[in-house]
Amino acid sequence: MIKDITLGQYFPGDSPIHKMDPRVKLLITLEFVVLLFVVNNFYGFAVCATLIVAVTALSKIPPKTVLKSIKPLLFIIIFTAFFNLFYGGGSPVFESVGWLRWLTWGGIRNAAFMSLRIILLLVGSTFVMYTTSPVMLTDAIERLLGPLKKLKVPVHEFAMMMTIAMRFIPTLVDETDKITNAQKARGADFETGNIIRRAKALIPILVPLIVSAFRRAEELADAMECRCYNGGDGRTRYKIYSCKSRDYVAICVMLIVTASVITLNVLI
Amino acid sequence: MIIKTEHLTYKYGIGTPFEKTALDDVSVSIKEGDYVGVIGHTGSGKSTLISHFNAILKPTSGKVFVDGQDIWQDDKTERIKARFKVGLVFQYPEHQLFEDTVYNDIAFGPKNMGLSGEEIEKRVMTSLEFVGLSKDCLEKSPFELSGGQKRRAAIAGVMAMSPKVLVLDEPAAGLDPRGRDEILSRIRDYHKETGSTVLLVSHSMEDIAENANSIIVMNRAACMMHASVPEVFEHASQLEKIGLDIPQITRVFISLHKLGYPVSQNIYTVDDAEREILSCLKGGGARD
Repeated sequence: MIKDITLGQYFPGDSPIHKMDPRVKLLITLEFVVLLFVVNNFYGFAVCATLIVAVTALSKIPPKTVLKSIKPLLFIIIFTAFFNLFYGGGSPVFESVGWLRWLTWGGIRNAAFMSLRIILLLVGSTFVMYTTSPVMLTDAIERLLGPLKKLKVPVHEFAMMMTIAMRFIPTLVDETDKITNAQKARGADFETGNIIRRAKALIPILVPLIVSAFRRAEELADAMECRCYNGGDGRTRYKIYSCKSRDYVAICVMLIVTASVITLNVLI
Repeated sequence: MIIKTEHLTYKYGIGTPFEKTALDDVSVSIKEGDYVGVIGHTGSGKSTLISHFNAILKPTSGKVFVDGQDIWQDDKTERIKARFKVGLVFQYPEHQLFEDTVYNDIAFGPKNMGLSGEEIEKRVMTSLEFVGLSKDCLEKSPFELSGGQKRRAAIAGVMAMSPKVLVLDEPAAGLDPRGRDEILSRIRDYHKETGSTVLLVSHSMEDIAENANSIIVMNRAACMMHASVPEVFEHASQLEKIGLDIPQITRVFISLHKLGYPVSQNIYTVDDAEREILSCLKGGGARD
């Protein structure tokens, strides 16, 4: 059933990672991503991997779920690794055996290095998604981009649009389910025929769905106006984030990781 | 028996933390030509039950028979047949309208049945009459109609398939009193004229009492009762316990009876009440 689709990747919980200030979480993740590109040796990656293992344990998210985030990009990882095998330079693995002589030790090292970087990048950046609800995430983005308001960038409006869009995904999924069933009850067939027939069969679902999306949008706009919503100016907040000790600890840990990676870069 | 379920069980979200039993060992059978009311608290499994009657949902265990055929026994053909034998009108059916004209929308079901153009036209016309829409509507866009008209056009879309069983999930929800009376009387006429079986899901005990011959009472995913109208409404206290009610007029007559007036306690509709009071005033006393 369509309901089984997981939307976003939020994995509810109340671990210290979940409770962290989402702004700090976002910034730390950003730093981590940059750091992965600074790393130039395997020891650096080992430090980063240790951090990820520690965060996984702390957040109580099943390791299997964490590793799942690699899946969508598995093809790209394999693709990158494969080509790196042949463009590494250094001494060949097999001497003069046809095209295999292009396979070099340096290539193997490069392939492993690039794959590790992508994997760590994926796993590290999805932690924000796993431990922060979408609404909190947009809220954090809005706050971090706050200074852009001075340049007349409609930050609040964008954040509001994002929040509303995410809020309505489950509603629309539900609606799609209902409409599909109603049309099935009228004998609509979505499962047989060639691609064109199947695409055409979607019209009885799409039209009512779009109509209902517009109806909902209008109702929501009315409801917001009734409650005197008029944009972000002068709006106060219900949830005020403040950095707590756990956030400072997180920042310190990240600083230590960064320092050790840079030290390793210089030393090796 | 036009529809029969045997130990029908349905679970949502099996294997997830959200697993929920929506139907628990439900065995009901519905006689051909009957007008059955389905009542139950919100979340009692009414909608899940009716979605099984035309193979929209697949039972987790148990069997569903439509017209004597086990619809999940073998290949798809039985289920496609069931779709056309059992016409299901979901809640707020006007949300399923999509064609450019009312005519095309009502014709969608019959077209899917593979009927000829002539037959389709005939069916559109008869079902339009059944729901009481004028012919001027046919060429309009369904989105131009008023709320009540949209609802009727959508119901016509299912009636046009001439199902042996017409199942309606809260067809009067959200309509004004006149709109709801109109729709319910149209459905009653349809039942009388075509002799088809009708299932009406409703929260209004008055509507059920006025229309149905028998009642299925759903409670906590199970079928608690399936009996004739008087037999079900006799159990007023039991119904109240599960968050249901008996018709208001029945309450009035039970109170009158308690006050010592010689009236029957089994009065379910206003028309019956009128007759009972008149006969009582004439000095005839209680009917039964």
